[in-house]
Amino acid sequence: MSTPYKPRASRRRTERLTRLWLYAAYTAIIVFFLFPIYWVLSMSLKTVPQLFATPPVWFPIPPQFSNYSYVFENTPILRYLFNSAVIVAATVFFALLIATLAAYGFSRFTFRYKRPSLLAVLAFQMISPVVIAIPLYRTFAALHLLNNYASLVLVYVAVVLPFITWFLKGYFDTIPYEVDEAAIVDGATRWQVLTRIILPVSAPGIATAAILAAVLSWSQFVIPFILIDSPGMFPVSEGLVNLQSNTESITLHYLSAASIVAIAPVIFIFVLLQRYIVSALTSGAIKG
Amino acid sequence: MASQVRAVRGRSWAERLAASPAPWLAPLGLVLAITFLYPIVEIIRLSFTNASLTGGNYSYTLGSYARLFGSPYFASMVRVTVIFVFFSVVFQILLGFLIALAVDQGARRGMRASIVTRTAVLSAWAIPGVIIGIIWGILYQESGAGVLNYLAQLLGFGQIPFLSSPRAALASVTVANIWRGTAFSMILLYAGIQTLPADVLEAARVDGANAWQRLTRVVVPLLAPILLVTLVIVSIDTFNTFDMVLALTGGGPGRATEVIALSIYDQIFQQFDLGPGAATAVVLLAINAIMTFVYLRLERPEELS
Repeated sequence: MSTPYKPRASRRRTERLTRLWLYAAYTAIIVFFLFPIYWVLSMSLKTVPQLFATPPVWFPIPPQFSNYSYVFENTPILRYLFNSAVIVAATVFFALLIATLAAYGFSRFTFRYKRPSLLAVLAFQMISPVVIAIPLYRTFAALHLLNNYASLVLVYVAVVLPFITWFLKGYFDTIPYEVDEAAIVDGATRWQVLTRIILPVSAPGIATAAILAAVLSWSQFVIPFILIDSPGMFPVSEGLVNLQSNTESITLHYLSAASIVAIAPVIFIFVLLQRYIVSALTSGAIKG
Repeated sequence: MASQVRAVRGRSWAERLAASPAPWLAPLGLVLAITFLYPIVEIIRLSFTNASLTGGNYSYTLGSYARLFGSPYFASMVRVTVIFVFFSVVFQILLGFLIALAVDQGARRGMRASIVTRTAVLSAWAIPGVIIGIIWGILYQESGAGVLNYLAQLLGFGQIPFLSSPRAALASVTVANIWRGTAFSMILLYAGIQTLPADVLEAARVDGANAWQRLTRVVVPLLAPILLVTLVIVSIDTFNTFDMVLALTGGGPGRATEVIALSIYDQIFQQFDLGPGAATAVVLLAINAIMTFVYLRLERPEELS
């Protein structure tokens, strides 16, 4: 082979060039991914003539914050946000409860058909929500459970459960079983082992699972779209589609403002907690 | 001493129950059975009937499948879905891989910009699909408010009918979907790159392999299993997607962007034609099942026990 090591000066130059290329790549990536969001933000702060100006107005000055007050006063967007918050909170609570029990069961017991059961749980995650929503619509209609948050949350919980269960099982697996055994020898019940030993140790994992469940259920659309048709009960994504279909092009700035209001909470949480989310997603990815 | 007494006396029925995995797994099993297992059986059964959405009497028939496969829309739906899924998946994985490499290289050098980049990509993924559809609908505007049309004209392309011409609309929907889904491929592949053995890469460097050779002869072959798993997961996701397209085009113009999941919704809830809609759902279910089978095969078994 040719010279294995380059002279030091040349190496340093290559390194500087690499960094330059990386910065160029980062700029391109950030522009591609943030421009759409920035554009909608700028639309939300424009006057009507500015909306249609050529060349486009990149920085609306002065920003029309009144667009936001208009949206808050004349659309039910805050109601939608509140509905979403209620649904997401209930989903996270019940999903964590059920997933914690199941994850403990999968992590701490050996039993026949354990592997097939785990795989079956995973397989449910691959099924399109629209497929299950149709029979559920018929059943819920017959039982008068449409437009009902209890039945809606049941479906939300089911949709996030496979992922959350797998994630928590992976987390519990990292706690050595000897810890359980020692406690059981000392007279603790399984329940006490879970609540007094496993859960406190797993607090970061539980928190991450809660964030993931919240993000997953916040963006849920098909399920409420099919199971909820009373406008006062719409979660934010369904409410926005409803606003969009009632909006003419002249009110583009209002639609933009409503979109920004709808995504602001997720983006805020995401940027704040992105380290945990990334590590959760990557550990989940490696484990399957 | 006291604890021993408790251990013996404490064997109530509740504790004996807690010694078996059943009560721990029962809530999970119950929820999944009600909301997944039962609907799956039910949708397959419905696809062989002439039932209507709202109930009433019905009989068993193969008519739904005959009508579905005989309909001219079926071929068009398959074509639209295949084009949409193929290009979405190829570009999401390609872009996701390149971004994962760039972010990883920067992170190794301690560049803060790599974190900013990662966050920017991931925020696109955190936005609900329908809002992504609305956002891209605003970008694709064909009136004077359309920023992408303005940029296209600057570059000399003239007016582009992003959402009003059938061919352009399918491309527009696919681009928006790539924007949305790249983050997920990136994060899976980024996780994969973290697991690559550093000594192998270092050995290749010492042996004089340049960056391109290290990438194509070391990184990609080592990453192949994870690339394959990512390919399957992303394909399943893309087949199942529905919300973004609904908000962006509603499946139109005509049916030019009506992908399979949207077609199921359209047949059942817009045209109130449950039979063929349920049959289409069974087709999607079969696609899900086949791809899940492939996925489970690909996963290394020792990690699943």
